Amino acid sequence: MKTTNVTLVLLASITAGVALAHSGATGVVKERMDGMAAMQKAVKAVTPIMRGQVEYDADAVRSFAAAVEMHSGEAMTKLFPEGTGGKPSEAKDQVWSDWEEFESLAMNLETLGKTLSEAANNGLAVQASGGTSGSMMGTGNMMGSGTMMGGNSAMGGMMGQSSDGMMDADMLASMPADMLFTRISQTCSACHSKYRLESN
Amino acid sequence: MRRLFLGTGAIAVSAAIGFVVLTVWPIGATPSPELANLTGDVNRGAYLARASGCIACHTNPEGGAPLAGGVELDTPFGTVYSPNLTTDPEQGIGNWTVEQFAVAVRQGISPAGEPYYPAFTYSFYADFTDQEVADLWAAFQTLPAVETPSRAPEMAFPFNQRAGLKLWRALFQFDPLTEPVEGKSDSWNRGKWLVEGATHCAACHTTRNLLGGRKVATAKFAGSDMLPGGGKAPPIDTTSLVQEGWDAGSLAYALKTGITPSGDAFGNAMGEVVLFGTQFLSTEDLDAMAEYLMDQP
Repeated sequence: MKTTNVTLVLLASITAGVALAHSGATGVVKERMDGMAAMQKAVKAVTPIMRGQVEYDADAVRSFAAAVEMHSGEAMTKLFPEGTGGKPSEAKDQVWSDWEEFESLAMNLETLGKTLSEAANNGLAVQASGGTSGSMMGTGNMMGSGTMMGGNSAMGGMMGQSSDGMMDADMLASMPADMLFTRISQTCSACHSKYRLESN
Repeated sequence: MRRLFLGTGAIAVSAAIGFVVLTVWPIGATPSPELANLTGDVNRGAYLARASGCIACHTNPEGGAPLAGGVELDTPFGTVYSPNLTTDPEQGIGNWTVEQFAVAVRQGISPAGEPYYPAFTYSFYADFTDQEVADLWAAFQTLPAVETPSRAPEMAFPFNQRAGLKLWRALFQFDPLTEPVEGKSDSWNRGKWLVEGATHCAACHTTRNLLGGRKVATAKFAGSDMLPGGGKAPPIDTTSLVQEGWDAGSLAYALKTGITPSGDAFGNAMGEVVLFGTQFLSTEDLDAMAEYLMDQP
């Protein structure tokens, strides 16, 4: 009987150990990972719409935007209290040493999420994928300004994300949904580039 | 003991001779006299500078002025800092001629005749035409002078001996594989030119040997764990890309948005490549790169 008990306890702790290793994280680290995973899932679901591969669905875009809003801004930053780096977290120390910028990216994402839900009826700029933008010079961002330094758009583009601050809310809300979506994804990427450790 | 002494002496002597030979070994060639007469197109040059990663690598993301340098690259051989490329005559390239610029970009040799460390991916730009160099030059001329100091590399011996780079160049410097292939579409060939040349995908995605040379024959696009700062780059040969769930459409889209087929967004070096470089490329060019990557020879 005693042996059985010991075996059970052993088994239980081994199982717990395995479960812990699989999920890896607990508490606030797990919470923020779940938030990121929820956004990843939402991005994956809405991408075919944004790429024009399936029919445009404003409701689906709104529910994507809602998912972004729910997991960004303060909802995101409050899940990064100081001292919660290190394994199994994938957050770099720069999250905390460079908090202001991290926070501004999170806030930026929230604004973009909000804006996209307002702009969901705007539809796509480019129907269907594939080459449509004319000459090699066609795409706006860089070329708009003429020089490498040029106007704010090139500067903002060069810095990855800061250009949103230069557009007012109305301008943003009048953008096509796919362009806003690109801004959202680039914000994700900007944050991952600076603050997420490389996965193995 | 005497023999050992003699042996050591012989090694030292031949090392010294070798060093002198390396130091005086001439490298580089003079650009064609046509170059100075060409008129560069600023927009085309800025576009090529984007595609080639000039802006990504020579702009300090911590609030540095565009192209004023200062990006730190930790390599297994020491640390290099991307130099200032603005028109500042002291710290930047304001004193350069277009010919010196051409030799630097296409051949990786400074106006003083010294070889650059291969952290500068000049070997991918070797096929740039005179016109393309003139375009780049015109674009760089539009940059206001910024006084951010260019920082000297901090390399460990023997890598701090630049003459040794000549040997490295002889062993590991490869011509870009940008030549068009007959029978392939224009877009495929454009993609090849971008992928194998300007956008220098192989700089990170091809395995490197212990001396940092790319294993182009055996491990082209096979991935690398020797990125500056210790980063990794996954394999991007066609087979691997297919296995990882990519197709031409998702690949072109990722180069614009950073989104991967799993709904994740690129981070680390690839995130920077997209944010500072490929997102600014035209849809046609991104489609062309994807077409080529998904159909590599």
